[in-house]
Amino acid sequence: MNATQTIPVAITDFTKRYGAQEAVSNLTLDIERGSICGLLGPNGSGKTTTFKCLLGFARPTSGSMAIEGAPLTPATFEYLGYVPERSALYEWMTGAQHLEFNRRTFKSYDPKRAAELVDLFKVDLKKRVGKLSKGQHTALAIVLAFSTRPRILILDEPASGLDPMFQRAVLDLIIEAAANGATVVFSSHQIGQVERAADRVAILKNGKLIVDGTVDSLKGSEKIVEAIFDQMIPDLNGLAVDPRISRIVRSGRILRAYVNHDSEGVARRINELAPKNVSILDLSLEDIFINAVGDVAAASPNGDR
Amino acid sequence: MSAIFTVDPRSGVPLYLQVIEQVKRHVALGSLAPGEQLPTVKALALDLTINPNTVARAYRDLERDGVIETSPGRGSFVSSNGSSANAHRAIDDVADSILNNAIREVKNLGLDRAQVTATFERQLDRWFPIGEQK
Repeated sequence: MNATQTIPVAITDFTKRYGAQEAVSNLTLDIERGSICGLLGPNGSGKTTTFKCLLGFARPTSGSMAIEGAPLTPATFEYLGYVPERSALYEWMTGAQHLEFNRRTFKSYDPKRAAELVDLFKVDLKKRVGKLSKGQHTALAIVLAFSTRPRILILDEPASGLDPMFQRAVLDLIIEAAANGATVVFSSHQIGQVERAADRVAILKNGKLIVDGTVDSLKGSEKIVEAIFDQMIPDLNGLAVDPRISRIVRSGRILRAYVNHDSEGVARRINELAPKNVSILDLSLEDIFINAVGDVAAASPNGDR
Repeated sequence: MSAIFTVDPRSGVPLYLQVIEQVKRHVALGSLAPGEQLPTVKALALDLTINPNTVARAYRDLERDGVIETSPGRGSFVSSNGSSANAHRAIDDVADSILNNAIREVKNLGLDRAQVTATFERQLDRWFPIGEQK
């Protein structure tokens, strides 16, 4: 198979167990060429476990991970750039020594590109990694990840510890790489970064994939239908089990239904309850995220289920 | 060319639709003239810090609607074929979308059709005073 037909990053029925604890359960995710996939999830949702197995730092309990259609080998890193959550850098080596190490290891290492990136992030190459600040540490990892001009990038929290200017620079690098045809998987706690850079978003909760789609299609389908009533909210007539509605929140005379598709249809149905008015509200990716991972019981004390 | 467009990633409106609306608005206003070159997908994605596929999708839809033309290797340009018709349609599209949002919001306040009409006429009188036809 040639490179254009192969799926660059394919995760198939991947499960990882640590003892009795299942960190990731039956995750299947194919990342298309040229796509930027944002992996979101609260702490402990399985993101880092997924990244570790993708990069060969841990083995799947079952299922498979394939990069360009094949299991990981040392040669894969000629075209795969990565930033792991916990540093893979050596504390006792300087930045310059890391660059030299990569120059000797990878044929694809581009010293000019590396120098540009060092300049961009103002990395002090003379310092030992152990003496670098959190932000400089991340910046050095970014420099190493991008200095081979990789066509696949796997980045776990690639902007953590960076100031807003450098965070934007990391996003620009990711976007530039994708515009040149690279495939990117990255995670971030800053949903706004995913909202900008990603065309695809996958949300994990308790090791399970609970949302997967393009950012634009999610925004097109996930809505709040809000109804305001003159009097008490009437009996909801089985609205709570409507498959189009993921949860219902009541607050005084206001009813809000979080809808995953067909908001117009839900609005018509709620309109039959004769509210004073009904409106359909747009959601940001952050709203969609909170709604998807939020603890339903805690988030809606007056909820109907 | 850089930075003539702006988008709001946090808005609930999909980003590709925001890009389409921005391009139409500039064509309607004439700040993008017929035959003028648009930024490349990569340049606009980097300029706005948004996903390149999102920009590419917006350009595809704009091309389908005849607002822009893309020639392989040369880039994307504002359509010059029937350009005044295109500019008028772009103006109509943008006006439609602005009024659509305004009326939807006013309706959400609970006004009925007669009340919205009355409000609308009051605003029309303000912006288009009688005797000053334009």
